[in-house]
Amino acid sequence: MALSETAARMEWGACWLEPAPIPRALATEVRRSTGGGLPVWASRLAPLPWLARAFARLTEKRLAHMPLALWDLIGLIVSQDNSCRYCYGAMRTVLKVLGHDDAYVDRIERDVHLAELSRTEQAALEFARRVSHANPRPAAGELEDLARAGFSRPAIAEIAYAAASSVFANRVATLLALPPEPFEGWVDRPLARLLRPLVARRLRARRVAPEPLPRPNDGPCAAVVAALAGSPVARVLREVIDDALASPVLPRRTKLLMLAVIGRALGCRPSEVEAAEGLRGAGFTPDDVSEVLANLGSPKLDGREVLLVPFARETVRYRNAAIQRHTHELWERLGTQEVLEAIGIAALANGVCRLSVLLEAC
Amino acid sequence: MLTFAWASLVVLAALAAWAWRVRQRTAGLERRLVQASRELEALQQSFARFAPHEVVEDIIAQGVSTRSETKEVTVLFADLKGFTSIAERLEPARLVTLLNGYFEAMGQAIVSHRGHLAKFIGDGLLALFGALELNPWQTNDALHAALAMRSALAAYNARLRAEGLPPLAAGIGIHRGPVVAGVLGNAALMEYGVIGRTVNLAARVEDLTRVHDTDILVTESVRAHCDRRFRLRPLPPVEARGLPAPLVTFAVEAFDGT
Repeated sequence: MALSETAARMEWGACWLEPAPIPRALATEVRRSTGGGLPVWASRLAPLPWLARAFARLTEKRLAHMPLALWDLIGLIVSQDNSCRYCYGAMRTVLKVLGHDDAYVDRIERDVHLAELSRTEQAALEFARRVSHANPRPAAGELEDLARAGFSRPAIAEIAYAAASSVFANRVATLLALPPEPFEGWVDRPLARLLRPLVARRLRARRVAPEPLPRPNDGPCAAVVAALAGSPVARVLREVIDDALASPVLPRRTKLLMLAVIGRALGCRPSEVEAAEGLRGAGFTPDDVSEVLANLGSPKLDGREVLLVPFARETVRYRNAAIQRHTHELWERLGTQEVLEAIGIAALANGVCRLSVLLEAC
Repeated sequence: MLTFAWASLVVLAALAAWAWRVRQRTAGLERRLVQASRELEALQQSFARFAPHEVVEDIIAQGVSTRSETKEVTVLFADLKGFTSIAERLEPARLVTLLNGYFEAMGQAIVSHRGHLAKFIGDGLLALFGALELNPWQTNDALHAALAMRSALAAYNARLRAEGLPPLAAGIGIHRGPVVAGVLGNAALMEYGVIGRTVNLAARVEDLTRVHDTDILVTESVRAHCDRRFRLRPLPPVEARGLPAPLVTFAVEAFDGT
C-alpha cells in the first residue's frame, strides 16, 4: 500500500498558518537536530522559538539504552494510530530512506505480530501503542512484561519516551494541519535512490552515553523526568519543559491549568498534583483548582483561560477535523503566538502525562 | 541437435509461462490481502465508535470478547411522548422518515458532547457517557448533550411544522452510577452494552418527565457530580415503578456558563 493511499484516508485540513522567516540561530539548531534539513514545521513554528526548538529536540534520536531501530517504528505506529498525516508521511519516508521497502512497512502497520520483528520488538511496539492510546493507561504489569521480554528499566523508559515524543509531534502537526514534507515526493526519484545511503546516515538514530539526572529537577513534571534517569532524554525533557514554562507569551498559571486538565483527562494524578502545587503560588487555592478540574470552568479564570482550559481537554482525544477547526477558531481569537504556545503546552502535557506510566512501577 | 534446442526452448517457454502465472497469482493474492487489510482497518475504526478499544482488539484477535467490567458511567435515556398516537395517524413511510430525522438530530447532539449512542429502543434511545473511555466530565457532558437535544428538537419541530407534520415531544432521564459493561448477546447478535440498576433507574427517571410535565430530569447523583452552573429545579419525590422509595429528581432548566 503506497503512502498516498493510506494518507488519503486520513482526515486532514489545510494549514492556516503561513510560513515565517526562521532566525539564523534557530535554523542552525534545527538543522543540527534533523540531520541537515529544515522541515515544514520549522517555518510554521518559528514565531515561537521555544516550540520550534522543542520539536527539534524531542524528536531527536539520541538514545542510550533502547534498540535504535525501534525509534522510527514507534514513530510510525503511533502516528498511524493518531491519524497524523504529517508525521505518518514523514516517518514512512524516513523508513524508506533507511532501507525498508513499502511492503515491510505495510506489514508493520497491518499487524506488528505479522511483520518480521522479534518478539521483544513486537512487545515494545505494542507497549508504545498503548502508551499513546492511554485508554486505559498501561498498568505496572505491562512494564513488568517488557522487562521479562528482555528490556532493561532505562530501555523501557526510552521506549515510553519515544511514544511520548511522537504523541507530542502528532499533536503539534495535527492541530496546525501541517502540510506534508516535500521530502515525501523526493524519495522515489532516481537520483534520490542513489543518494539514499548518504541521507540515511544522517537520519539514523544515534547511540550516546548515559547521562545523570539533570540538576535541578524540580517543579512541574519532575517525577516524570526523574523516571528517565540515566538517559540523555531526561535532560532534553527537563529543558524543554522549563523553556515552555518560562515563555512569557501565556502566563505560567494558564499553562499549569492546561497541564492539570490534561493530567485529569488521562488519569495522571502526579501531573495533576504537581500542576496544582504550582498554581498555589499563582493565587489558586486547592478548592479553586478542584473547581476548574471538575467543571473546566470557574469565575477565577480570565477570558483567555475560559477558552484554553476546555481546549486542553479537546487535545487528549479528538477527531482531526474537529480539533483542526477548533484550533483555527482559537487562532482567529488569540493570534499566532498565543495559539502556538497553547498548542505547544497541550502537546507537551499530552506527552508528559502519557509518559507518567513510568511512575506506575516506582 | 535442432530438436533438442526446440525442446529446450519449449520447456523454457513453459517454465516462463508458469513463473509468470505464479507471479500474477501472487500479485493478485497480495492485492486481495491489502484490500482485506484496508477493510479490517476501516472496520476497526468503525467498531471503535461502538465499543472500547480493548474490546475491539479482543474481537479482532479472537472473534469474541469475554471482557466485562464494572465502571461508573452516566446514562441518558430519551423517549418520545405521545408517539403512539402520532404513529397511528401517519403512513408507515412518513413515520419512519420522521423518526429517523429525530434520531439523526438527537444522535448528533449526543456524539458532539462525547456521548456514545448505545441503542435505539422503538422510539427511545440509550446513550452512555464515560463508557468507552475515561471521562472525568461525563456528567457535565451528558447534561450539555441533553440541552443540545432540547435545542435540536426545537429546530426539528420547526421543520416538521413547515412540512405539515405533528411536532414531537421528548422526555430525557439522566442518572450516574455503576454499570456492568461488556459484550452481550448470542452467537447471532452481539453488542457492547451495559446492564445494572443505573440503567433501569435512568429509564424510570425518563418516565417521570410525564409526571412532572418537563423534558429533562436528573437524579441526585447527577446533581452531585455536575457543574453548579447548570440551573436545576428540585421536584417533589415521586413513587417510581420498581423502586422501593420515592425518587427525588431535578428538572434541568439551563446552563448559566459560556
